[in-house]
Amino acid sequence: MTPTHRRTLAGLLLLLVWETLSRIGWLDPFYAPPPSAVGEVMLQLVVDGELWPHLWATTIAAFAGLVVGVALGVALGFAAALSPLLAELLEPVMILLNAIPRVILAPLFVIWLGIGLASKLALATILVMVLIFFAVYNGIKEVDQRLVERVQTLGGGRRVLVQEVYVPSVTAWVMGNFKVAVGFGFTGAVVGEFVASSRGLGYLLQFAQSTYNAALTIGLIVVIMGLVLLLFSLSERLERRLLAWKYD
Amino acid sequence: MLHVKGLTVGYGGTPVLDGVDFDIQKGQFVSLVGPSGSGKTSVLRVVTELISAEHGSVELDVPMRDVGFLFQDDALLPWRTVRQNVALGLHIRELPEATIADKAEHWLTVLGLAGLGDRYPAQLSGGQRKRAAIAQVLALEPKLLLLDEPFASLDAIVRTRVTQELLDWVEREQLTVLLVTHDLEEAAGASDVVYVLSKGPRATISARHVVDIPRPRQILETRQHPAFAPLLRRLWDDLSVELKSLTAPRPTDT
Repeated sequence: MTPTHRRTLAGLLLLLVWETLSRIGWLDPFYAPPPSAVGEVMLQLVVDGELWPHLWATTIAAFAGLVVGVALGVALGFAAALSPLLAELLEPVMILLNAIPRVILAPLFVIWLGIGLASKLALATILVMVLIFFAVYNGIKEVDQRLVERVQTLGGGRRVLVQEVYVPSVTAWVMGNFKVAVGFGFTGAVVGEFVASSRGLGYLLQFAQSTYNAALTIGLIVVIMGLVLLLFSLSERLERRLLAWKYD
Repeated sequence: MLHVKGLTVGYGGTPVLDGVDFDIQKGQFVSLVGPSGSGKTSVLRVVTELISAEHGSVELDVPMRDVGFLFQDDALLPWRTVRQNVALGLHIRELPEATIADKAEHWLTVLGLAGLGDRYPAQLSGGQRKRAAIAQVLALEPKLLLLDEPFASLDAIVRTRVTQELLDWVEREQLTVLLVTHDLEEAAGASDVVYVLSKGPRATISARHVVDIPRPRQILETRQHPAFAPLLRRLWDDLSVELKSLTAPRPTDT
């Protein structure tokens, strides 16, 4: 039996125990509804077509935040690593943003940008950007100097160094953090929707919480987890493709 | 081919090298030996313009593009295949793609790496990686070859084999070589002239030995040559003096 089989079996066993305890009354279904009830609520959402617009809204906000956050993080990380003046200005700001739980900015973004997509995008972006900034900044600062000197002694100038050494080196650092960035993108989108929104999984979660609907809450958590796991798997494939030299 | 005059190199404090002078004639194989910290590698780094000298000059009779530098570490780009690594310098020189492909394949074959061109450096053994690094440098057809303890990380058998391959090539093509090493046998066996650097800081050339062993040379047979053991002894004595002065108590220590 493989570890995956063992894990699946353990998960099924847990669900079975949970279902049984709930059905014989040992667990209060108000707080811990049985898996079958959770499944029923979610199936209803799917059948009624209510889930898709919310799932789509969250995915769009998360992806947009991921793309903008990665782009900004890469650009600012490169700029700071190559310009000491910019590093002086950017590094303290990024350290501060990294030190605080950045989700506390969500209410401010709602005030500034409203309850639409923009505020969710901004939160997801800032979560991702700080992570990628440090990946790029540290990646460039800690690039293997032996490789730099090797390229220089072969006659390579700044352009060749960026192309042959810095970009591949930074790609490895960024890809090492990409899975976390995907998670951050969804965190930003869902928390943004939870704070103030009219659609999205975060909005549905907020609705489920305010109506004490534990089955819907658990179901939505499972959906978000499933979505993030799917994206983890896709980003792992992307990582293996881009960093074939590491895995082959 | 290479003329080093009054070379003084420092890294912000007391100079590591202080007034180093030596010359290398075309086709000569010259070694530079010395205690750790004597600045052997710094000489090569100044020649290749990786660092600047505080004083003195380095004059080359060939353009910088004809200087090949083989590092102590193989320093191959891990994200490039062996073939791409060998071709890197050729790409930098913007040669036609067909020429690059031909040359890369040629040097892979010469260095015994045919069939391994599509692998990544991490998939090669230490000896194979070293051969790839040699191929990368030789593909540029340098006239002056700078070697910084290039085989230090290899085990004895691979080291002897790779050194012999490089020596054969150098003799056949009559390349000019400056080898930096702490291995006295390697220096004595391969060189025409061996310079000894004094201990650093403020290291300078403390001795010059001409190696009177005919070419072409076979590393293992060279060690049996009558001139080899006395030369090794003299080199050892020179370095022992330097090492004694390193361990001797300084006046301020008493």
